[in-house]
Amino acid sequence: MARRVTAVRWSTLAVVVMLVAGSCTFGPEEGGGDVEPGGPIKVRVWTHQNRSFNRGLNALADEYTQDHPEVTFEFETFDYETYIQTLQTALPAGTEADILQMFGTWTCSYADNLAPVPTEVAPLPDVEDAFFAAPLGGYICDDTLYGFPQEFNIEYGATLVNTGIAEAAGVDVAAGWDSWDAFRADAVAMTNVQDGAITRAGYHFTAADGLSYSFFSLILQGGGQFLGEDGTSFTIDTPEGREALELLMSFVEAGAIDPVLFNDESNWVGDCYFEEACAMGLVGPWVVPEYAGDFPEVAEKTVYVPLPTLSGSPDFVADSGWGLTVSKGSAAADAAWDFISFVTLDAENAAEWNAASGTLPALRENAEGSARDVLVAEFPHFEPWFPLLESGHYVGNLPDRDLLWYDIAYPHLLNALQGAESIDDALQAMEREANESFG
Amino acid sequence: MRCRRWRGKRTSPSDRSRPAIDVGTKRRWFGGREGAQKRFVAAVITPAALYMAALSLLPIIWAAALAFFEFSPRRTGGPILGLGAENPFVGLDHFRAMLDFSEQAPLNVRQFHTAVKVTLIFAFLVLPLNLAITLPLAAMIDSVHDRLKVVFRTIFFLPVLTSAVGVAIIWGFVLHPQRGLLNGLISKITGKVTVIAWITDPNFLFFGIPVALLAIIVAYLWQDIGYNLVIFIAAHQAIPQSVKDAALVDGASAWQRFRYITLPLLKPTILLASVLTMISSFQVFDLFQVMTDGGPHDQTRALSLDIYQNAFRFQRMGWAAAVSVVLFVLVFVISLVQTRFLRSQWEY
Repeated sequence: MARRVTAVRWSTLAVVVMLVAGSCTFGPEEGGGDVEPGGPIKVRVWTHQNRSFNRGLNALADEYTQDHPEVTFEFETFDYETYIQTLQTALPAGTEADILQMFGTWTCSYADNLAPVPTEVAPLPDVEDAFFAAPLGGYICDDTLYGFPQEFNIEYGATLVNTGIAEAAGVDVAAGWDSWDAFRADAVAMTNVQDGAITRAGYHFTAADGLSYSFFSLILQGGGQFLGEDGTSFTIDTPEGREALELLMSFVEAGAIDPVLFNDESNWVGDCYFEEACAMGLVGPWVVPEYAGDFPEVAEKTVYVPLPTLSGSPDFVADSGWGLTVSKGSAAADAAWDFISFVTLDAENAAEWNAASGTLPALRENAEGSARDVLVAEFPHFEPWFPLLESGHYVGNLPDRDLLWYDIAYPHLLNALQGAESIDDALQAMEREANESFG
Repeated sequence: MRCRRWRGKRTSPSDRSRPAIDVGTKRRWFGGREGAQKRFVAAVITPAALYMAALSLLPIIWAAALAFFEFSPRRTGGPILGLGAENPFVGLDHFRAMLDFSEQAPLNVRQFHTAVKVTLIFAFLVLPLNLAITLPLAAMIDSVHDRLKVVFRTIFFLPVLTSAVGVAIIWGFVLHPQRGLLNGLISKITGKVTVIAWITDPNFLFFGIPVALLAIIVAYLWQDIGYNLVIFIAAHQAIPQSVKDAALVDGASAWQRFRYITLPLLKPTILLASVLTMISSFQVFDLFQVMTDGGPHDQTRALSLDIYQNAFRFQRMGWAAAVSVVLFVLVFVISLVQTRFLRSQWEY
């Protein structure tokens, strides 16, 4: 009996020790890859989870390895929310990978932990000529370049249009619209109302991104600015701000959309459009390949049509999109920059990635000629976007872009559209809260 | 069989008056048979204690410390744990800022006030509703045949086992303005197309409470009542049958038996369930994030969501830590008050 009790005790102890040991992980002591002089080079790469993005990058990594057999890549992917948190904790701790896929607009907030682009890789003036201003903008912090964009992240300028619904409503979208009045009238014509409730919106622009991008782009088109020259203050409660918000309000008043039923939380624009609960929707071209697999019949009827402009100006606000950077503590920095140059500065490779990922090019060279033709052949809905790219303005090095977009602009704009706040109150509140974000 | 001789100290009848443990000698804590047991317990508990200390106690201490700094993981900070330098010590500034109720208060302070209000409304609605449903339900289920009891217990407990995120997604579908089950049902009954934005209309209030918040309460109750129900059924079964029979003989109705016999005797269990329900309702996060993400117009921005967004979305960890300290104090005080108010003196 005593022997049995002893055996049980020792077994229990062994199980407990195994469980505790199993819960421990032993990661690398230092961040970055391994480099021995003249020996194999391992480059760790972190990216967010996007199948087409990563498929394209992996293919380029394989091509690079053929010419550089001493270099091996170790990819690790994270879902979007986890990726943000991983960067926040790993960068100060120094446990990050060599190459970090970065959303351009975040770059300056992590600049302390990132390596500047060596001049021998590409001098800044040459880079500014090669890339569109909007995608590149985020990677330049205090006149220092910290990486290269791979895509032009665009969320304003053209709208998704369901040609089947347009045809049924007797609306001809082929020629576009030369005024907001004409556009609004067509949106109303494509709206479906049953028993006093909108069951199909004519134009869905009231998701968080759509609403914020619309508002700030319209300010630019009206000849205004929302960020001061020195970048240390916001000016939103302005005549241009009022004009922008009144224009957006006019769609609600005309009955083209009910912002209570259609917003970021309910009937999000991508779901709404492809489920044909919206005839038109404001969202970037990335959404089409994302939904085409599940809604092929709607994708077939989908085109993008450029939006009308305010005062004839095609200017719009854009984030600096996804690109690649190198961590400051990387032991394989040379190999990392060489690979990044291979991927982003070589026009052919950059175009290959754009085709694989279904994104618009960040390099000016790839927005024309054969590179553009290849993209349009693969993604016909890209065509209307190309003439707009030169008019993109980087949103600016904001103290906190997500805070401004999702916690300040979107809630107040939506409140104004829903009638919960007056236009004046919304503009004043946005300006005050945005300026508070400077700390 | 020959008995083995006891090889310990011989005791004579006169020795038996001496105590078994001689208090004059030095006690060996880990010696002997008792010591062996203690060594085993220590060996088993130590890894778990270290694990808890590293993953529970340390983070609590770190969060409490962060509450006194303006800390963001994006900034490099000083050499000691990143505190100081660009993450300066601010003392009680965060807590002082929380007391600014003016209209000019910063956005994060106003959101904090909203979050406190939403959390208190949520917790103080969930508790009485939960008890109002589970107590009579437990009495009803306990009154049926034993085989049926098992069936009902299982049915009501199944939602407790469901993932909260799944619950939130399904309820989101039920409440969808165009394709939701609820609006569909109303449309069928009324014969008119019904498009009610249950969780996205900021003007939709019920006795001053946002309907979006009530919707989350309903979803939470749906998932959570099974837990208390099982506890109350067990407690109900523990009430002596003789007490119930005596009440029956005295002519008490079902309601009178419930009101004057069952409820008082369940008081200790009600206290336990109340404290647990209150604590868990303060910690609800997934329903708020998945169903509404704090909207519409921050009407469902609970403290847990406020802490998460400040800490991980906007990297204001110092402020988020201060809010979490406030949440801890709130839960602690309310649990203390509950314990005082509901404790009972009798046993049966």
